[in-house]
Amino acid sequence: MGKLFNELKQDILYQHGMNACLNCGVCTAVCPAAEFNDYSPREVMNICQSEDDELIEELLKSDKIWYCGQCFSCKTRCPRGNSTASVILALRRLSVRHGYFAESEKGRQQLFAKRVFGENMLKLGYTLLAENITPAHFPELGENWEYYYEHMEEMREWWGVPMNLENSAGSHRVIPEKDMEELRAIYKATGAMELMDAVEKGMEKKLGSKKEVEKYWQTWVETGDSRNYEID
Amino acid sequence: MKVARENLAWQKHQKQVPTVDDPGGKLWGCFRSCFLQSAAPYTEGIAYKILKNDLGMDLREAPGHTSCGAIGYHGDVSNLETQMVVAARNFSVAHHELGVDNLFSFCVTSFANYTEVIKLWEEEPELREYTEKTLKETTGREFWIPHVSGGRPSVVHASDVFFANRHKLAAKAKYSLKGIKAVDHIGCHYGKIFPGEAMGGAEFPQVLVGLLEAFGAEIVDYPERRHCCGMGFRQCAFPENRDYTASSVYKKLKSLKEAHPDCNLMLTNCPGCTVFLDAEQGTIKEVLEEEFNVSILDYAQLTGLLLGYDPFKDCGLNAKAVPVEPLLDKIGIPYDKSKTAEERRRPF
Repeated sequence: MGKLFNELKQDILYQHGMNACLNCGVCTAVCPAAEFNDYSPREVMNICQSEDDELIEELLKSDKIWYCGQCFSCKTRCPRGNSTASVILALRRLSVRHGYFAESEKGRQQLFAKRVFGENMLKLGYTLLAENITPAHFPELGENWEYYYEHMEEMREWWGVPMNLENSAGSHRVIPEKDMEELRAIYKATGAMELMDAVEKGMEKKLGSKKEVEKYWQTWVETGDSRNYEID
Repeated sequence: MKVARENLAWQKHQKQVPTVDDPGGKLWGCFRSCFLQSAAPYTEGIAYKILKNDLGMDLREAPGHTSCGAIGYHGDVSNLETQMVVAARNFSVAHHELGVDNLFSFCVTSFANYTEVIKLWEEEPELREYTEKTLKETTGREFWIPHVSGGRPSVVHASDVFFANRHKLAAKAKYSLKGIKAVDHIGCHYGKIFPGEAMGGAEFPQVLVGLLEAFGAEIVDYPERRHCCGMGFRQCAFPENRDYTASSVYKKLKSLKEAHPDCNLMLTNCPGCTVFLDAEQGTIKEVLEEEFNVSILDYAQLTGLLLGYDPFKDCGLNAKAVPVEPLLDKIGIPYDKSKTAEERRRPF
């Protein structure tokens, strides 16, 4: 039993997600991600139960832990009451804290998660904003969505859901600054800031400089596909 | 046998959600959804109209409540500790600032997130102490736990509130689903994480079926009925991962069409399912040249249509990949036929 495993088992998500797996494979049978990707929740549980740091490190550096869609179909079906989706959450945080996430293509996408979900939350108190659902990144929403996106404020008025109201209830309202300060204090005290900082640092270490991290980010913003940024 | 199993599941999982005629059932605090406010704001809009105008509810919502942050939790930018304290803050704001005891969220992921932290506080007293202490230190606020369902520590989802009041809503409906085949698609975070907190459980959830039945629909079943829509947080949010979402939608709808080619209505209660089960039908049509033509409606959008609200201005069916008009015609819901499909959707 090594250092990585020791750190993993400190995580409440791991403690609640893993209660001795019997390796039956029901999780993998029902897993939507296992169906379409090189991913098996059963394998993930096996590696964790091995308590082998080498295997765990390899897992944390791979794409595998990032394929889970967090639907928790595995939790519903597990005869032992395990929750692989929760174990995945613990593994992903471990991967980020150690910078291993930056070793895989899917792991590096954490930069987008941090800069979209994380920074939105710290700036405005929401994980997603109206302007995030761009027609360029969401072409399947179609031409009517493009029209809506161009007429966002007036369309929301028309539907009776005006946006950016101040000191008011409502969808996409402006959350008062005093409340935002409380939210930021919570994120700081509970380690979320640290987790987000680890993403920026891990990416900088992998890509060589802050400038390259910006280039990677811009490639994704402009093309919607991080694979257009070439990594040596 | 099937009926017996269904009844067994029902007895085990029944939630207690007050109707507007029960004590406390008229006053609700609600939490907004990040996903809906960005990708489908009109669904909250029509839900509000129905709850206020048709059920006479007093809905309260503090300007200072925030997102539960769970998209960031499942998207790996926050910790479980973060989720606990943010939830405690939102509960405290609702109770101490707005004076509400009953709370629902519009998002199923918020519902699961709030349920998870409430269960953790119950199971692990030290986590509750940690939350109380951190909440006080970071915000100065007092800890409070909601007890919405049957006096147990719990919150409920907006679709639970619709379900509880379904007979009243059906009695007010102008149109009926008689002769219409329909099926539910329950959000994974509504039913799968805490089946005991789902109306009817994970196997036979009644929350949407009950609503459809109250409106007279004929419920159909199909093999992949409980398969996830493939929203997947980081999977749908980053275009390069969205093949997972499209594949999941394809698997589901192909299975539905094989079993019931004439079912064109799927009812949802999750923001992600509502958007992607529809949108990916557009992708599938383009890439595979296969059309399923299944209208994906949110529980509030469908209720709104049947109560006589405008399909576009009130229910917001402007930007669906699957045109809603064939379904409206099938049910007999009128809309402005002097305008083209584009004119109905683009008012400016």
